[in-house]
Parts: sequence; structure tokens; C-alpha cells
Amino acid sequence: MRLIKQTWCAWMVLSLLVLGMATSLPASAQSKPMKHAKRVQLATGAALSPDGRLWVVGLNDQGQMFMQSSPAQALGQWTAPVILNTQQDEIAAEGESRPKMAFGPNGWAVVTYTQPLPKPYTGFVRMLRSADGGQTFSAPFTVHQDRQEITHRFESILFDAQGNLHTLWIDKRDMPPKGAGQKYIGAAIYGNVSKDGGATFGPDYKLADHSCECCRIAMSNTPDGKVAAVWRHVFGEQTRDHAFAVLPGASSVASTSAQVQTKTPVRSTFDDWQINACPHHGPGLAANTSQTGFHMVWFGIRKQDGQDVPGVRYARLNANGEPLLSSVKALPDARAEHADVLAHKQRVVVVWRSSEGSTSTLKAWISDNEGQNFSVKVLGQTQGPNDHPRLVQRAEKMLVVWRDTKEIKVYDVSQ
Amino acid sequence: MMFLNNPQIDMRMSQFNRRLNFKNFSSLAVVLSFFLGQTLQAQDHKHEHKHSAGTTQSMPARTLSSTQAFNEKSWAQLLKDGPKPAAYLFTTTYCSTCPAAFEVLHQAVKDKGRQVPLMAVMMDASGAKALRHASHFKGMSKMYAFEGFEPEIRQSVDPSWPNVTPYVVMIDAKGHLQKVIGPPTPDMLKRWLGS
Repeated sequence: MRLIKQTWCAWMVLSLLVLGMATSLPASAQSKPMKHAKRVQLATGAALSPDGRLWVVGLNDQGQMFMQSSPAQALGQWTAPVILNTQQDEIAAEGESRPKMAFGPNGWAVVTYTQPLPKPYTGFVRMLRSADGGQTFSAPFTVHQDRQEITHRFESILFDAQGNLHTLWIDKRDMPPKGAGQKYIGAAIYGNVSKDGGATFGPDYKLADHSCECCRIAMSNTPDGKVAAVWRHVFGEQTRDHAFAVLPGASSVASTSAQVQTKTPVRSTFDDWQINACPHHGPGLAANTSQTGFHMVWFGIRKQDGQDVPGVRYARLNANGEPLLSSVKALPDARAEHADVLAHKQRVVVVWRSSEGSTSTLKAWISDNEGQNFSVKVLGQTQGPNDHPRLVQRAEKMLVVWRDTKEIKVYDVSQ
Repeated sequence: MMFLNNPQIDMRMSQFNRRLNFKNFSSLAVVLSFFLGQTLQAQDHKHEHKHSAGTTQSMPARTLSSTQAFNEKSWAQLLKDGPKPAAYLFTTTYCSTCPAAFEVLHQAVKDKGRQVPLMAVMMDASGAKALRHASHFKGMSKMYAFEGFEPEIRQSVDPSWPNVTPYVVMIDAKGHLQKVIGPPTPDMLKRWLGS
């Protein structure tokens, strides 16, 4: 009898426990929990192949990497998307971090992306390569030799005039270990060079110490066949302006150690923005093909009459990457974001997104006298989520690719 | 109750009850029931933001198991019904300067010996992907996650905020706001929490 009583009591307590759990659940937890709406990653890369075909690479609704192309004669008429094998990598495709594509000689084509790793702020730069002009691609592989679970992110790629593939990325291998008492400001810009379209790579080299940590790196071909880059840099303790460097050639990188390559970069902007924060807003760079030097756009906050004035600005740089201060102009749009620049001979095109509420407007600032004067043109408008504008160029052909949740639009800004 | 007539089960139950120490089990049941209820309330994914002013307490980030949706209407609602004082730090998964700014807020609250809600708002991820970063925000009461078009939501918080993070909004006990890009200064913290 005692046994039955104890057993009965035990079951009563268990029942109460279950009942207690059930009644303490909030209404939404008792039913199916509300989930966040599916987040579509729209950041898309674009490139022109040697035959003038426009290619895009991005993620679809299922998070798979797709690629499609459009003929030069019918831009915007896309082939059916092809899914690329990325071996279930997580892929960063939002904002400043997007998949990218580049074409080289000999039918070489590469696709790159950042694969975020489980530890926050870490990632690997991954690449797929093609030797048949983008018809087929290899499985993804990691581009850098360093394999620590640290930052290798925000990669950029460009072939130089000799067909060498240059890859740059933001890297934190130089951070001292926690508790070491040393301080390393920002991150570093590392890179490597492949002479065979991504089949093999030279050693990782350090281009510069103390870059900002999470802005895209802009790259441009130089008139003499090299590659130049500009990135957000931390000068001193916390001045976040921009730095410029011409990348070392393939032979010098292959034959020297990483430390030998590292030089003090040239300062290319002077906003003097003192901030210990992440702007998430990288620069744009284009070679001035009618003279020497470059055209550059960037975002920054500068003091004007005692006020902090944020804005996207344009300037011309000389061949060393130093700004021609008299050429600095603010874009005529306080809401301008993520601007980029293209140039061919006299024509300079600055393109940006301007959002107000759910409406985004794609705008261009066009100059036909090397950036002396500009006029604004509205290219398009959309509602809801959309990507930053992506600019592509091959010689005089200059295009803007803009993706929203419904389609990928193409705007020809060559003329 | 048919199974109680099964002698084998009776024996097992008897052993189970003897091992259990009945009084302790009852207490445990009550405590466990309450605890589960509280934890599940923290997991709720409600869109509305009703808080009783000043009663929400900072809690260790490890107890968070979900993010709450933050859309273009959330900020107005939080300003109206949210806790005061409180602080919101807007961040992204790639903002490596954000944890240090959050620590400035957390330390200020600790130094004052106050229980002030500290919220992180993740702008580029939600759910498990956002919560990977929870351990970087010690003392975080809650994590929100943007749901919708990022510029639209950002402009609903501050039309002049240029997408730089950390973006910190401190709300004092009277509802006055202070906004700053980067870590707040000592003067701002003093104004926020009072002297």
C-alpha cells in the first residue's frame, strides 16, 4: 500500500512538472515558433569575357551559387542559371562581400568568394577555376597558404596585362596572441599571384599593415600593364582614410619573401576621419587612360566648419596614388552609398545607390572631360532589397549591373 | 493504472522512488518548471516590443537562444514601449570593432551597479548565424536581427546614419537619446546613467 502511495505521488509530481512546463510557455512558444523571414543574399559579381559576353555570379534563393551570362548584342537577356559546385561552403554574399568573377587569357576564368568559418570574423578565400572560358569550373579550393581559422576575407581579383592573376584579401595573421600585451591596429592586406590562371599560386605576400577590417578592396589595371589597389587604411591610431599601392609583379613576388614586399602605402585620401568603427564602405578605383593617374571614389566623414560631414567623394590621383586636392568633389547626393567608378579616355562614370525608405534609385554622375565636370543621370529605381551597383568594363564598354529580388538589370553607360 | 499490477514495474518504481528522495524531487520539479518557463519566454520571437520600464535585467549572453526580428517599425515601438534606461548597439557579423564598444556600455553599467538592459542589433544575419557572435557581447540582454531592407530599417532609426558600426543609441531614464558612431565617451555615459 505504501508502495502504491509513493508511486502515485511520484506520478502526480511528474504530471505537475509537465503541466507546469506547458502552462509556463508563452503562447507563441506553445505553437510553432515564429521564424525570421528568409534572408536573400543579393550581392552579385559581374565580369565581361573577352568576346564581350556579360557574366554574373551570385547566390540564388536556396543559397546555391549560380552563374549566368548575356550576349554582347542582347545585354540583359540571360541564359538559364547554372549551379556551381561549391561543396556546401557557406558563402558571404551581402554588402561589401560578394562573389566575384574575372577572365584572363587562354580561356582562363575564375570565380572567388569568402567562406565564413564557424569562428566569428574568420574566413577563407575560395576559388573555382575554368580553362574553357567559363563553360566548366573546378571544385573550389583555398587561395592562400595560411590556413589558420582567422580573417582571410574581402578578397579582390584582377588579371594584369601579362595574364597574371592577382588576388588580394584582408588578413589577420599578424595579430599578436591574446594576452601578449602587444597591439596591432586593424588588419593587413595580403595577396598572391598566379601565373597560370589559378592552377598554382606564388607565396602569400603582405602588401601593407594596418588596413581597415571590413571594406572591399578596389583594384584597377594601370596604363603600364600592372595592377593598382586602394583600400581603407588606419593611419596612426584611428584615422580611417585610404591607402594606395601598385602591386608587385609576378616575378618579384615569387622570388622574395613576404616581408621584403611590404612597403608603406601611399595615402590617397585626407578626410582625417578619426573613428574606431567599421565603415563597411570600400572605395572605387579606375585608371585615367587619357593621361596618367587614377579616378577614385570613397566614403568618409570629414570636419567642415566644425561639423562632421559624411559623404561620398571623388578625386583624381596622380600615378603614385596621391590625390590632386583641387579635384576633390562631393557627390551631389547626401544618401549616396557604395559608389564605384569607371573611366575610358575622356569619359568618367561614377555610379551609386541612393535609398530612401524602401525606394532605391540608381544614379550615375557622368563626365566627358576626365572628371572636370559631371552631370547626374538617373538610371533606374526599385523597391525593397537590392544589391549595390556592380560596374564592369572591357576597353570602351562600360556597364552597370544591378540586382534586386526580381531580376538582374544591365545599364550601358559607355556613351 | 493497469501497469501498477505488474510486479516488475512495481519493483522498478519502488527502486526509482527510493533513489529519488521524494521531498527533493518535489522541490526540483517546482524549480525546474519555473526555470523552463522563464527560459522559454526568453526564446520568444514576438514582433511587439512590450517591456516594463526598468525591470528588464542584463543577463549572460549564453542564455540567449534566438534573435528577435527588428523591422522598419520596431524602433518607433521600442522608443515608445521599450525599457528606459537602455542601450542598443547596432552591429554586423563582420564588425570587429563592435564588441569593444559594447564592453564600454557593459562596464559603465557594472560600475554604476545598475541593472540596465543592453541590446545588440545584428544588421546582416539572424538566428543561429547572428548568435554565433553572442559571446562577444558580454552582458547582453537581448539580440535583435534586422528583417527587411537594411537601408530602410537603418533610416527608421536615424535618417543620417551612414551604415557605420558600431552605432550606439543610449536612452536615459527620461527617454532622452544619445547617438554615437563608435564607443561612447565617458561624458555620454555619465549623461546616460546619471551621476
